[in-house]
Amino acid sequence: MIINWALVAFTLLISLWYLSFLATRLDRLHHRVETSWANLDVLLQKRAAVALEIAHSDIADPASSLLLTGAAYQARDADIKNRSAAESGLSGALGLLLEDSQHLATAADSALLTELSALTDKIRVAIALHTDAVTRTQMVRSKFIVKFFRLAGTAPLPVTYEFESDVL
Amino acid sequence: MLTKSLKIGIVCPYSWDTPGGVQNHIRDLAEFLIDSGHQVSVLAPVADDNSLPDYVVNAGKPISIPYNGAVARVLFGPVAFSRVRQWISNGDFDLLHLHEPAIPSISLLACWAADGPMVGTFHAAAKRQKIIFAIGPILEPAIEKLSSRIAVSEAARLTLTDHLDTDAVVIPNGIYATRYQKGSPQEKWQGNTIGFIGRYEEPRKGLGVLLEALPIIARFAPDVKVFVAGPGNPTEVIKNIDPQLRHRFEFLGKISEEDKANFMSSIAIYVAPNTGGESFGIILAEALAGSACVVASDIPAFEDLLGQGQFGSLFKSEDSTDLAKVVIDLLRDDTKRKELAEAGRSRGQSFDWQIVAQQIFSVYEMSIVGSQKVKLASDTRSWSRFLSKDDK
Repeated sequence: MIINWALVAFTLLISLWYLSFLATRLDRLHHRVETSWANLDVLLQKRAAVALEIAHSDIADPASSLLLTGAAYQARDADIKNRSAAESGLSGALGLLLEDSQHLATAADSALLTELSALTDKIRVAIALHTDAVTRTQMVRSKFIVKFFRLAGTAPLPVTYEFESDVL
Repeated sequence: MLTKSLKIGIVCPYSWDTPGGVQNHIRDLAEFLIDSGHQVSVLAPVADDNSLPDYVVNAGKPISIPYNGAVARVLFGPVAFSRVRQWISNGDFDLLHLHEPAIPSISLLACWAADGPMVGTFHAAAKRQKIIFAIGPILEPAIEKLSSRIAVSEAARLTLTDHLDTDAVVIPNGIYATRYQKGSPQEKWQGNTIGFIGRYEEPRKGLGVLLEALPIIARFAPDVKVFVAGPGNPTEVIKNIDPQLRHRFEFLGKISEEDKANFMSSIAIYVAPNTGGESFGIILAEALAGSACVVASDIPAFEDLLGQGQFGSLFKSEDSTDLAKVVIDLLRDDTKRKELAEAGRSRGQSFDWQIVAQQIFSVYEMSIVGSQKVKLASDTRSWSRFLSKDDK
């Protein structure tokens, strides 16, 4: 009899520990989603600033300057829903401009371009990190136990940020 | 450039005093980071703690276990675990960089024990193994704690996605490319010469394939010579060589870094006949940087490194006839050989530590956003947070 009760208590303890473990794991994952997003956000803001600077420099002709300024402002002002579309627009505008401006850049302008390409490299990494965090979180949150015990609490389900990385 | 000075803890899973790719990578990375003004502490298993660099912390004596078809000298167990925890709590690190956190050694223990910014680097490339169904659920929660993952090659990245269903950023291993550029050609190694560097006694290094190809090569290029460098005992190998061809071989033993650079810039062709088990191929990167013309087997890691044949010739792995054909073609065609070596040299530059360390550091920067330091995981568990609140 006592052994039976001990067994029940033991199982209960183990399951409680497992629940606490899962909750900690989820908490950590949510934290990762947030930090990686903050990361990406900062980098994208920086890119928009550099894009504006490029638009105002000699690299851009008036027409592409207009296009680029528009795209940069859109990317800065977009809310979370339209963000990825706006950022992709900016990538496209930058791509169009950079394709044929490489050879006519002066020293000061090429500094801008190097800054941009360094940023682009970082953004690529940041996107990979963020996407990974989001998919991991979604995976753990789709577990039955997590749903049943509402271990995620009130945290919203993270959504993948659809960034067309091939435009970068 | 590397601006903010950080306190970085690096964990090496393999015995520090056994030579190996992972250990070399960690040593070079640690020294590069220290040179650029960061504080670095490396935790590693050490068998013999004489002449240990002062940035290495001894985690205990390594245990030899068979792992992945080779003997790995790793370290785990309760004593090691408490050492790891002690190192983490004393270190006050901004960031932990764990190497190979998916093998049973102190990197995995550190990943369990710590909480905070962590970067993991995956070196190994292996085919999908059944065992992963059993150990996957144990590894996953630990690997998940890493803020970012680095794979040293496309092959290593594929291994990671196959086994643990998670993605990684590919950053290659680094070499000191400028050292290899400075290599001066030595007459004794010039001419119709073929070079090979590595632990030639290991079958997967593929010296056997080269031995089989030599009779054919010697028929078309009678003055060909083969130089084999690397640690090992040549008597066994020499016994297997056709007596008529023995004088074409010269075993140089282990050579210094400086000699390696001279070697690479002297020989006509560097051959890497490895049959597998290679994830990156650092020696190829070094050969390229030293402007050697490279011929390598077409295993995934080498194909990747040589840009599908753009920066060096490939031959069908384990096919000695194909190797002979490729080598003869190159020995006969001086212009093609020079072109390949030239293309390879600029490729080799892209593996320079200046570039690679910068890439690694930008991953560091992204991982420490949020800027808490590395702590022991048990301190951040919700219930112990609850308890410590009570104390206040």
